[in-house]
This record gives sequence, C-alpha cells and structure tokens, in this order.
Amino acid sequence: MIYFYDGSKEAFLTAFLLAYPDEDAVLTSGNHQLGLGQRTAFVRADKARAARAEARLLELDKDCMHDLDLLLRSGAEDRDAVAYNYMRMIAAYGAPVRKMLAEDAVIAATESMRRVEFEIHRMHGFLRFLECASGAMYAPISPDNDICDLLVPHFRSRLTGYPFVIHDVRRGKAAVYDGQNTFLAPLEKAEIILSADEAGWQSLWKKYYKSVNLPSRERLRQMRGYMPVRYWKFMPEKSEDASFASAPRQDAPSSPLKCP
Amino acid sequence: MISEEKLKILTESAKYDVSCSSSGSGRRNEGGIGNGYASGCCHSFTPDGRCISLLKILLSNDCLFRCKYCPSRADADVPRTTATPEEICELVIDFYKRNYIEGLFLSSAVHISPDYTMEQLLLTVKKLRTEYKFYGYIHLKGIPHADERLVHEAAKYADRMSYNIELPSEQSLKLLAPQKSKESVLLPMRQLQREKLQFREEKRKGHFLPAGQTTQLIVGASPEPDGQILRLTQSLYRKTGLKRVYYSSYVPVVHDSLLPDIAAGPMREHRLYQADWLLRFYGFDVEEIVEEDGNLSLEYDPKCSWALRHMQLFPVEINTAPLEMLLRVPGIGARSAYKILEARRYTRLTFEDLKRMKIAMKNARHFITAGGKYFGGREAAIKGLLAEKGTGVQMSTFESMAAQSALTGEL
Repeated sequence: MIYFYDGSKEAFLTAFLLAYPDEDAVLTSGNHQLGLGQRTAFVRADKARAARAEARLLELDKDCMHDLDLLLRSGAEDRDAVAYNYMRMIAAYGAPVRKMLAEDAVIAATESMRRVEFEIHRMHGFLRFLECASGAMYAPISPDNDICDLLVPHFRSRLTGYPFVIHDVRRGKAAVYDGQNTFLAPLEKAEIILSADEAGWQSLWKKYYKSVNLPSRERLRQMRGYMPVRYWKFMPEKSEDASFASAPRQDAPSSPLKCP
Repeated sequence: MISEEKLKILTESAKYDVSCSSSGSGRRNEGGIGNGYASGCCHSFTPDGRCISLLKILLSNDCLFRCKYCPSRADADVPRTTATPEEICELVIDFYKRNYIEGLFLSSAVHISPDYTMEQLLLTVKKLRTEYKFYGYIHLKGIPHADERLVHEAAKYADRMSYNIELPSEQSLKLLAPQKSKESVLLPMRQLQREKLQFREEKRKGHFLPAGQTTQLIVGASPEPDGQILRLTQSLYRKTGLKRVYYSSYVPVVHDSLLPDIAAGPMREHRLYQADWLLRFYGFDVEEIVEEDGNLSLEYDPKCSWALRHMQLFPVEINTAPLEMLLRVPGIGARSAYKILEARRYTRLTFEDLKRMKIAMKNARHFITAGGKYFGGREAAIKGLLAEKGTGVQMSTFESMAAQSALTGEL
C-alpha cells in the first residue's frame, strides 16, 4: 500500500502507525509513480494517533524526534522513504540505531541529516542581509532544504536589537524576528525599500572581494566546490556571475558551470 | 564611509597573509552586535579558492621596515595610505551586520614606530569592543619590537593574536628581513603564552586570547628544507602552545637578487599542510614524517609515504585495529575512523560494508583486511598505484581507473 501524506510531522506519524504492520508500505508526500493494481491511502494528520506514535518512539529513542524533524526538512526526492525506513528501524530494533553505521537505513538517514545540517552551516555564512530604510534587515534565500526557521537562533543571538526577515523565496515562507519574538509566516513576494547607504556598502564589499583575491592562483573549481553556484544569486559579490553562469551560452558546447 | 580606493590599497597589502580562520572563540554577545562561532564560519570564497571569513585589512601600508619579500617595504614605490580607527570600526560593523564577514583581521605595516603602530592597533580594537560594542571575532597581528605592555593590553580585546615568523631560520631573517629578529617575534609569543596560562589559573573575568596564537611561514623564498620547517612547527605546537601554523608558498611580487623569481608551487605547501595535520590530529611525531635535512615526497602524501616505509605493520584488520592504528592507514581520516569504530560494535565489517559507508577505499584497501580478506594489490605494485600524478590541487585521484586495473590485473 502507498500512503500519501502532506509532509508534516503529525501526518507522518499518523501514517507511520498505519503503515508499520504493512511489510510493503511506501510513504510519500510527493509524486509517486503508481504501479499496476497498487493500492493507495491518503492519510490525514490525526492528533491522537500522532501523539501515540511519538510517545512510543520517544520511549525507544529519546532523540529520535529531533532526527525526524531534520529528515522531513530534506529537499531530496527520497525524503519520505529515508525517514520512514529510519523510524521503522528504531521501532523494530527497540532502541536507538544511530550508531549502527553499517545499516543501509542508518547510512541514508545520517547522510540526509548531514546534508540538512551542512546547509544550515553554509547559510550561516552565505546568507546576505539587505538593510531596509526602516532599519530592519531582509535576507532572501533559496535553500535546498526547508531550513529558514532553523537559521533564526544564530542570527538572533548576534544581531540583538535588529529586526530581520529570512525569506525562503523557493517555498514562499519567511522566518521573522521582530526584535523580541520569532515567527514563521507565508510570504510569496516581499516589497522592500533599501536604506540610503545600502548600495554604497554593497559596492565596498564587491571592491573588497575583488581586492583580496590572488589572481595568480586561480582555482575556480575549488571555489565552486566550496561555494556552489546555486547560492550565488543573493550574494552581492557573486550575483552578476550567477546570472552569467546560468544564462545559456551558444558559443560553448559544454556547460559554463563546469570548469576545466 | 571609507573610500573604495583606500579599502583597495589596504586590502591588497594584507591579502598575502594566509590565515583566515574564525574558530576557537565562544565569545558571547553582551548587548551589542556579534558573537563567536566556535567552529568558525566561511562567508565567501574568492576565485583563488580561499575563503573569506574575516575582513582582512591593514591599518596602514606606510612601512619603516625593508623586508625584501614584502610589497609594502619602505623603499617600494607604491601608493601609501592609512585608515583611521573609526573608518575600520564602521566598516566592520556594517559588513558584519549584512553577514558579509565573521569579524576583523587587523594588521599593519610598521608606521612611524613599532610602539606607535601597536598603539593604533590597540586603539582600534578597544574602540570596536567598547564604543561600537562589537563581540564578533577579532584577529590582531602583533608588531615586532612593540612594548610588552601594549601587547598585554591588546590581548584583552582580541580573540586571537599572531606574530609572523615568515622565514624559518635566523640566517634567512637576517638576509631578507633585516629589521626583524627571531627574538622580536618569539619573545612576545612566549609572553602571551605565559600570560594566558596565568589568566586561566587565576580564573579572572573577561577574555584573554580565547582563540590563542598562530603564525605564518613563507615557503620557497629561502632554502630551508621541509624537515627543518616541520621541526620548527612541532616545537611551536608543543612548546609555545600555538593553535595553527600557516604555510604560504612564496609568490614573487617583488624582484630582488636575494629572492627567487619563480613562485613555489602549490604542491609543496599542500604537503606541508598534510604533514601539519598528521602532527596535530593523527598522533604523528615529526621524526616519523621526514628527516631534518629532507623534503616531503611530492609523489606520495606524507601518511602514505610513512606507510610505504613501514609495510611490516600492514595490513591491519579493520574489525580489531585500535583507533591509533586506523588513523595511520592511508586514506582513512578521523571521520572514517570514527565510523568504523562505531559500526563494528554492531556487526563484523566486510569490504562491502566499508564501501556502503562511503569510506574511501582507493588508497586504504592496500593497507587493510576486512574480515581477514585482503583486497589490495601486491606489495611491489602498490607503490606505482599510489603515486600521485599531475600537479593539480585535489591530488587524491588516480590518473585513471584503466591504468589502475592494468597494474593489478583486476577489472
């Protein structure tokens, strides 16, 4: 049976409870190619059932809900299967499994969590704030994984007193810090008025970026490995290169993203 | 706002300093802006593949000294400029606020006098901390020959300080940096080490260089072999308590009859870093890595060449070898060693398991057995297999799979 659910933690846990006795269960929140004669179920979040599943799983592994949260944030296509197999393994083994590093389910889950956490770390560095005329800071991002609310604590502790908005333009939502509280809100398009100095600081930053480079030691491949092109769009020092890199080039047969 | 021209001059003179890390400090935000990030954080990468973590800048490039290798030396004909402490502070705050940088890396040419320069540096970081309430990372360069009281005071505000040794021997220093001496660099380093220990013992409030000290050595400008450089490195780690030694392969920006006109390749620098890692994280002693008058092999990485000289110790059984031995297997790093250690408590690991666990087996397979089975080549063939070809940056790849299988006779 294929269990469709909406991607939320509550619906996942509800579906988990239903699917667990079923040996051939597949959990999915996205598009799934149906086989001939395959049966499907659409699972809606059920508070009581989800709470029951959560309580039972926490008895077996007190940290597993933290893992599940990360797993469900992954932007990878196999997200639901990875999360299901991992949680299923905890239930079957009856204890934490995260150190059984030679098991396929654990390898896949560890890798998926590592990717989400690594992207959070990357965004701590690559995110760029724009200063608005009101004094608030605005940062558009387009991460692979659903992490915009997880970025807030880091910036809140260092930018105390500056209200800010981290806008996931891909998922149409924003994490907002108003100077005291944090909340998550749907946001498709933001209209912002930049402060008078913003252009000046951006231009100084671009100058700095250019000046600190050692042109005699060009290693573009290394740069792109550490800072993939998909993150360039919102970085002032790279945004011009980003639009250049993504534009189709007629003269070159190979993709301009690949360097020699 | 500082002018673009000034920023350009002061950055271009600072960029040959390779240190960029922002790790090691857990400083908290006490009601201003910024905090430490213990693991460090890279904010951008330049086309030369280096990361930008800190705003790397000189307070002034107007220098009294005449170090032969330096583009800002007194007798060079270059535009000179000096920034004010306010200009630097403003720049740091506005860059930091936009998340461009993790903090400040402030250095300076020796302007007017060593004491005057150190005073200006101190004034800038003190202002940044107390007036601008900046709690982010500050790496401050020490000025040789400056008064020790200024050095002591500066350490209260900086997260990390560094004195650059630059040339790995007294003779080379005399020849190429006549106004520096071994003492002018090593004495303040020892002073700071002593004072930090004292600060810790007394458990006083505040901070005293939470991220410690580092230094930089230029490689390829003077004739010292790797063996001598690494002995210096080891003593700096073990006796002077340094956190990092950076190696900078020499780039000829200045032409002088005493200096080579060709740049030292990136490969030598790469090997020195590999050896440095072995000293710090893999339990190696410099005596095991290279002889005093010898150089590191360019063909094999230092761990691999150690293993090839000690084939009697291999292969090791992955299911029983202790951690220290796993760390000595070429191709197995700290993360892989940890994975193996954890995984083998639940199951007896096979070669297939290691592959699924994404542990790089290219080099390691010649030095291990998994469940008693060996998957490496014959000893005579191993050397040829492991030699790295080409001079690219990422040196861990073999020339081609075909060449490999031709040597071992496997598909």
